[in-house]
Amino acid sequence: MSRRWHFRDYQAERRLFKRRVALVSSVICLMLIILIAKLAHLQVVRHEYFSARSDGNRLHVQYVPPQRGLIYDRSGALLADNLPVYNLTVVPEEVGDLNATLKYLASLVKLTPDDIETFQNQLRRSRVPYSSTPLRYVLSEEEKYRVAVNSHRLPGVNMEPQLMRHYPFDDLAAHAVGFVSHINQQELDALNETEFENYGGATHIGKTGVERTYERLLHGQVGYETVEKNNRGRVMRVLERTESIAGRDIGLHLDYRLQMVAEEALGDYRGAVVAIEPETGGILAMVSKPGFDPNLFVTGISNREYSILVDDEINTPMFDRSTSPYPPASTIKPFLGLAGLDLGLVDYEYTILDQGYFNLPGVSYRWNDYTMRTAIGGGHGETDLRKAIYQSCDTFFYDLGYRMGIDAMHNFMSLFGFGANLALDVGYARTGVLPSRSWKMETRGEPWYPGDTVNSSIGQGFMLATPLQLATAASVIANEGRMVRPRMLRSVDGEPWPLREEFPAPDVLLENPDYWRYIRDAMVMVAHRPYSNVFRDYGTAYEAIARADPDMSYQIAGKTGTAQVVGINQNVRSSSEIRVSDLNTDHALFIAFAPAGHPRINPKIALAVFVENGEHGSTVAGPVAKKITDAWLLDILRLDLSIQPEPGGEPTQRSPAEVAAVNE
Amino acid sequence: MNSQDYEQIQSAPQLRPMARGLRYLSAATIDLPLLVFVLLLCCIGLSALYSASDGDIDLIRRQATIVGVGVAIMLLVAQFSLRLVRRLAFYLYLGGVALLGLVLAIGVEANGARSWLDLPGLPSFQPSELMKFIIPGVLAWYLAAQPLPPNPWRILVAGILTLVPAGLIVLQNDMGTAMLVVMSGFFVLLLAGMHLKLVAVGGLLVILASPLWYIFVALEHQKSRILSYINPYTDPAGAGYNIIQSQIAIGSGGIYGKGFGEGDQSRLDFIPESNTDFIFAVIAEEFGLVGAMALISLYVLLMLRGLQIAINARNIFARLLAGGIVLIVFFNVYVNMAMVIGLLPVIGLPLPLISRGGTAIIAFFIGFGLLMAVGANARKSRLPQN
Repeated sequence: MSRRWHFRDYQAERRLFKRRVALVSSVICLMLIILIAKLAHLQVVRHEYFSARSDGNRLHVQYVPPQRGLIYDRSGALLADNLPVYNLTVVPEEVGDLNATLKYLASLVKLTPDDIETFQNQLRRSRVPYSSTPLRYVLSEEEKYRVAVNSHRLPGVNMEPQLMRHYPFDDLAAHAVGFVSHINQQELDALNETEFENYGGATHIGKTGVERTYERLLHGQVGYETVEKNNRGRVMRVLERTESIAGRDIGLHLDYRLQMVAEEALGDYRGAVVAIEPETGGILAMVSKPGFDPNLFVTGISNREYSILVDDEINTPMFDRSTSPYPPASTIKPFLGLAGLDLGLVDYEYTILDQGYFNLPGVSYRWNDYTMRTAIGGGHGETDLRKAIYQSCDTFFYDLGYRMGIDAMHNFMSLFGFGANLALDVGYARTGVLPSRSWKMETRGEPWYPGDTVNSSIGQGFMLATPLQLATAASVIANEGRMVRPRMLRSVDGEPWPLREEFPAPDVLLENPDYWRYIRDAMVMVAHRPYSNVFRDYGTAYEAIARADPDMSYQIAGKTGTAQVVGINQNVRSSSEIRVSDLNTDHALFIAFAPAGHPRINPKIALAVFVENGEHGSTVAGPVAKKITDAWLLDILRLDLSIQPEPGGEPTQRSPAEVAAVNE
Repeated sequence: MNSQDYEQIQSAPQLRPMARGLRYLSAATIDLPLLVFVLLLCCIGLSALYSASDGDIDLIRRQATIVGVGVAIMLLVAQFSLRLVRRLAFYLYLGGVALLGLVLAIGVEANGARSWLDLPGLPSFQPSELMKFIIPGVLAWYLAAQPLPPNPWRILVAGILTLVPAGLIVLQNDMGTAMLVVMSGFFVLLLAGMHLKLVAVGGLLVILASPLWYIFVALEHQKSRILSYINPYTDPAGAGYNIIQSQIAIGSGGIYGKGFGEGDQSRLDFIPESNTDFIFAVIAEEFGLVGAMALISLYVLLMLRGLQIAINARNIFARLLAGGIVLIVFFNVYVNMAMVIGLLPVIGLPLPLISRGGTAIIAFFIGFGLLMAVGANARKSRLPQN
């Protein structure tokens, strides 16, 4: 080093500094070019890409679930409406530790293992990312408050208002109206592509009854909205919205007042009632008891509550008795009588001498008249078709059935809807059994025996019919042969809604229309023919109907039935205390229509009552039917049933007094 | 202002106390271009903060107060005579190192770095932030004492002077500031004329040592930052998230930007650390390439003015001090921007004068105050003695 500090060259040092500054500046220039090039690459070349990414960050399309249509009864009462409730929902993508959050939530609100399991099942389903998944429905006020206070500790947890299905009458018509509940994987799988799209964001679907049948009408059309969300998933604003279209409001033929009367009339009995308006086929009441509270299913029934409902093998509240098959017993006799008349096997004068039993030719086995079991024995003596109906004489029908043969019986009975589900919109109704040779061969692998025909002719043996079928068949007699298929739906959005019948069931045409009136009169006698000096010559329901209400202003045409119960399991489980001896008691049945034989007014109601273990059709089921027809004709329709003879003219129909006098 | 102005001011008796203050301040100590650039940057910073914080007025008020205090400190520092600064440089250095030692003993941790000092009677502050301007001062003092360029021994001593505080800052786990301190020492040596061969050898050594650092020394979060720099999409929700969201913000801004307050990424909180390290992404999103270029230009103008002051400085000490300050500020700006756009790995450095901060922004004002003092010193030397 030649330089010494005392020879310091300040000019050289200044030049050196300037050179270094120039060097550094050029390096800086180069670095700036790289920086700006990268910036331009991001902001110009890849601008489109990053714009899309930015929109992808913030814009989310979410479903706007439609409001479910309401269900009204025929009087305008709401059977199913929607109530606003607050649900606890979770957006899993925004929750850091899902398990910890669930644990924390469980300390704030009531969370059952069921809730958590349902929630996790929903997460496993294919779902829109960042969509909220319900965890708990219907928070109480206190729970709402607790979640709101701690919301800062619960990212991704929200309380969402929702319109929740609500059944104001609780268990009234629970089977017929049905209920909605959480949509499950099978139901989603069953949807086609457009339907699946329409169920985006949907949590519930109709599971039973009308809710299921008219799911398409009630559900509506899903809407969409494009929302802007921030980094924590909070919706900042709605940018675009396609409104959902609410489901359609439907009106049923059902009348809640009649339904209530029917449910009360059954009392504590298990059983069913189906009432039909003969003119329209509209189902006025459809009862199955015991019932259940459908609201439990909407919010998610707990396993414990559910097992109470399904484990009860006696009461089986979930089981719909109104559409389930039972032996129709003697209630089929009017139809068999019509068949006998129409086929010429009997006429108004034909009689048998009833000794209380029936023998097949060449067979020693006796078919007893079961109506005689509790009486002193013997038969009805001289018996024509009319007496065979109002006295419910088995022997007459053993003979008639045997002579008719199963093929003719099958053909004729099927005209009334037995063995098929004629209801237009009760798709879940069972068809029962109208036995035939081919049916027995297919199901039992056995040929048809003459004895089977004898059993069938009193509605026992293989024959099974649902209360709905019996009511339908009764309405055909009330209509004098006109078949109007039963239906639930009456109107949509307040407008009458005629249901299209793709395969209309034919009317029942008889050789002589007077047969209808003959059978109707026989059925009126069931309820109205009084005791007399003649042995066994009163109506089987006289005691329960006409005698119980001497001031009756109209006539009921009816038929009692008592179905034998066989083979009850001794080890059934039940919540209520029921003696097994009670379970072996016969089922009571009653079919009816009213008013019958009125000069001005056609029958307004046809019904079937089924009382499980009710013992006698006459004593138990008859009064139930009477209460229902009274309520419908007198309290609800408020008909003027008084009979004023037309001046100078012949009465078109026979008066009750004349009907009673016929057999004298 | 010329001398006639002073006379006019002095002639107004009621203004006398203020005029005396003004005369004291305006004795050519304020560098007007520098002041304008600094104030412009501060304004941009406050408005960007308004946008990034979604209109948090309290936060803006706090930051504006800090900026006001900073400007006052800058103007105060500009009054210092350079002779005093030169005499005090080494003692400031010793004091700074002592404070760093104190931080290690009783420091407070924030954001993973234990670099805050919470002394009674003082607002909590970071001694490490001050160190990046003390180093140019102490090296300028040390190197100016001997003819330039410095010989290897003096370079070694300068290196040790730099590395001792840098090492203490590494122990605080604040790699970004430690790197700045090292670089500030390096810049002074470079400007002092350190042989370029030595620079090349040093650079080569750093490159060769970096894999060893990566394998044996680097902490887990540092490794993941390097990896996500190479490809942010290996861990898009974790280490790569910041850089991906920052790039989306910048790229979606386009040429003209989305408009003030309209940045979707910043408004909806997708940009992480949008108030501090990533505030450049907010500006680039809302004002586009045009706005980003304007901001860069402002920094370049600030740098050019600073370099001009350095070149015109009266002596070696002033020159090295000014040059060191300018380069370390610009280096800080560049590293921050390059990190935000994905040109460099994520290093926790704020954008000078723009990012929200306390000690950091005050330290920059002290640096600019020293720069003004250098400029004032140069002008004073050209003025006739009075």
